[in-house]
This record gives sequence, structure tokens and C-alpha cells, in this order.
Amino acid sequence: MKQISKNELRVGLFILIPAGLLFLFIMFKLGYSIAGSTKDIYLKIDSITSVKEGTQIMVKGYPIGRVVDIEPVYKPALHFLATLRINNEIELYENCSAVIQNQNIIGDPIIELRNPDKKGALLREHDVIEGFEYVNLEAILQDVHMLLTNLTGTVDVVKQIALESRHNVRTLLADLSASVATVNRVLEDSQKDILAILGSFRVTAKTMSEIADELKKHPIKFLTQGKKD
Amino acid sequence: MQMLLSLPFTVGKKALKIWAGIGDFGRYCLSIALSFKSLRYLRFRSLYVIVINQTRFTGIDALNFVVLIALIIGATVIIQATTNLPKFGTEGFIGNLLVIIVARELGPLITALIVISRSGSAIAAEISTQKQNQEILSMEIMGIDTRLYIVFPRILASILSIFSLIMIFDLTAFIGGYVIARSTVYIAPEAFLQTLVDAFSLKDLLATLIKSIIYGTLVPLICCYYGFKASSKFEVPIFVSRAVIRTLFTIIVVNVVISILFYF
Repeated sequence: MKQISKNELRVGLFILIPAGLLFLFIMFKLGYSIAGSTKDIYLKIDSITSVKEGTQIMVKGYPIGRVVDIEPVYKPALHFLATLRINNEIELYENCSAVIQNQNIIGDPIIELRNPDKKGALLREHDVIEGFEYVNLEAILQDVHMLLTNLTGTVDVVKQIALESRHNVRTLLADLSASVATVNRVLEDSQKDILAILGSFRVTAKTMSEIADELKKHPIKFLTQGKKD
Repeated sequence: MQMLLSLPFTVGKKALKIWAGIGDFGRYCLSIALSFKSLRYLRFRSLYVIVINQTRFTGIDALNFVVLIALIIGATVIIQATTNLPKFGTEGFIGNLLVIIVARELGPLITALIVISRSGSAIAAEISTQKQNQEILSMEIMGIDTRLYIVFPRILASILSIFSLIMIFDLTAFIGGYVIARSTVYIAPEAFLQTLVDAFSLKDLLATLIKSIIYGTLVPLICCYYGFKASSKFEVPIFVSRAVIRTLFTIIVVNVVISILFYF
């Protein structure tokens, strides 16, 4: 009887432990949790300049949890896994997004979880989501600083171009004056010649008129003699 | 020439023999199903003791062997995966590979093979010996439905044992696989667990449950059938061997059929 009891216990454990594991697995796959009112999910981030232990997690501005741990992962490239402990009652979906941002201009960074438009499976314990957008005050200041530096450089270049252009414009104007003087001189020199040319044109025209008259009066004679009397 | 002429006769004779065997097995299964009507004449305690003892023998006594085999299989799969998957740029699918190879196919199949080789042969030998020692005849004279008294508790015990062994096999293979994977390439335990959970669907679970029920039914059913067949003590090893070989063949065919039904 004692032997049977020991066998019964062993057989009972042998059947119940796998059955229990199976039950837990099914519950877990269906999205249930017996761990309590919170669940831990992981956020994959490239940098930990903004996120630290205690960083608040929000959904639509409503706080639902905090970052409880951050661990580095060295392979394949250095990145970090932040453990987010969030309220179990909030319905979040697997393909939700995590935005790391500042609450205001001097506020601490927060992690804003946003559900997708197209809802998939529910977010479960130990799921991994990715912090795809990274916005913090330091980054904004860095961007503004970079913008101002670029602007200063651009202004310097414009100023330099303006200085160089002034000299060029002066040279251009001087050259233009010289060209005008040259044109005037050419015109003055050519005035006398122009009168002579015009006189010559007049004589030529008169001769041509005479030839035309002669051709009209004695065309045969003009053609056969070939010369004027 | 004579051999060629006798070939159709040989094939036909063999086919008729197989058909007659199938018919005989069908009648045997039907007789077990019909014997349930005499269940009320059996004491629950006697069946319960047989189930407990058979489960201990089929399940608990085979546990060490199953765990060892599972560790080796899990480690082998991971070693092959970590050395070959990076060549194809798919090293992130180690968890999926474990689930596909170990949980879906190898786990149930290897567990069934272990159960057949340990318990199936033992069941066939035990029943054959009981028959030679006139124990079965004595039970029948006492009015006990031997089909129900011998086969039914063994089927129940086998289903429970195979189900538990498959679960333990899968779990051990995953743990063994993870330990080996950890020694060669760093995988965060949470990430590994997450991959496994994601890859292991409820459909896989249902397939595993169905396999454990079918295997658990077929193994004792076929082994008891051949155990009842032996008519002299010299036939005991012949029928034990036949029981093991035919159960192995049946289980492999059933495994393929279930995989086709679930995953095609």
C-alpha cells in the first residue's frame, strides 16, 4: 500500500507538472497573466542619453508605468534593452510605437507609447518594442546650434562675395567709361570721312542717273557702241 | 521464367494476407470498443492500479532516457543552426528552428520511438507470457473481460505518459538548446524565450496533443494485438519483434499524415 502511494504521488506529479506548464503556456499565449497588475516589456534603444531608470511611461499623457532597468546588449551592435513595467489593464498592441520625448522645454524625458491604427495581437509580458523616434532637449539644442553655425557660415560667405563684387563693379564701370570714350573718338575721327563718302555717293548717284537717261533715249546705240560720247 | 510467372501470385497472396491482417486488427479494435459495455463489472481500483503502474513504467522510468536524448537533440539542432544559419544570414531564427524541428516533429516522434522500444515490447512480451501461462484464460474463466482489463488501462496510461514525456522532451530540448547556444553566441534569455513563445503557436500545441493521444492509443493497441497472437512460447519473440516493427512503421506514417494535415 505504501509502495502504491509513492507510485501514485510520482505519477501524479509526472502528469500534473507538464499539464500545469501546458495550461500556463496556453494562458500566456491567450494574453492572460497571473503575475499581478503589472507586466514587463522591453524597449530596444540605441542610446541611453534620455532614458534612465525611473523614466515615466505614458499613453496619451496618462502615466502607466516606469522604466525599471536598462541593460546593454553587445551583439550584433551595442544597443540597450530598457525594461518597462507598465499597468496590465492598459490595452497595448504588439506593433505599438514608443516615442522618447520631452514633456516640455525643461521637463524630464518620457516614453510615450502609441497604439497603431491597425490593431494586431495584444502586447504580452516580455515582448520587445523599438524606440523608433528619439526626440530630447539636448538633441534639439544640438540641432539649433548646428543650424546657427551653418547660418553664420552662410552670412560670412555672402559678405565676402559682396566685398569681392564691389571691386569688380568698380573695374567694370571704369572699363565701360574707357569704351565709351573710344567709341566717341572713333566717331569724331570718322565724321570727315563720312562727309566725303556721302559726297562720293551723291556723284555716283548722279552718274548712274545719267546712264539711265542715255539708256532710255538710245538703247541700241548704247549697247552697240559700248561707250558714251 | 517460373519465378516471373509466380510473381503475381506471390504479390496477390501477400496483399490478401495484409488485407486479412487489417480486417483482423479492425475486428480486434471493435471488440475492445464493444467491451466497454462490461466496464461496470470491473472494479475501478483494479484498473486504477494498472494505470498507475503502467504510467510509472512507461513514463517515469523512461524519464532519464528521454531527458538525455532531448538534451542531445536540442544541442545538436542548435550546434547545426549556429554554424550554418549565419551562412544564410538567418541566425536570428534559432528559436523558430528549435520549435519547427524539435517541438513539431522530433519531440513527439522520438518520444513515441522510446515508448515503443521500452514499453511496447514489454507490453507485447507480458501479454504473450500471460497467455502462455494460462493467466488470460484464468481471467476469462473468472468472467473478466480481458480485452478491457488488459488493453484499456494501458491505452490510458500510454496517452498520459506520452503526453507528459513530449512536454518534458520539448522543454528539455529548449533548455539544452539554449545552454549550448549561450556557450557559442550570446542570446538574451528573455529574447530566446520570447522567440520560442512566438514561434510556438496554439496550432503546434494542438498538433502535439493530437499526436500524443493517437500515439498513446496506437502503441498499446498494436502491441497488445500482437501479444494476444502468440500461441506458443516459441512465438513470443517473433510477435514481440513484429509488434515493435509494425508499431514503429504505423507511428511514422501517422506522424507524416498529421504533419500534412496540420502544416500543408
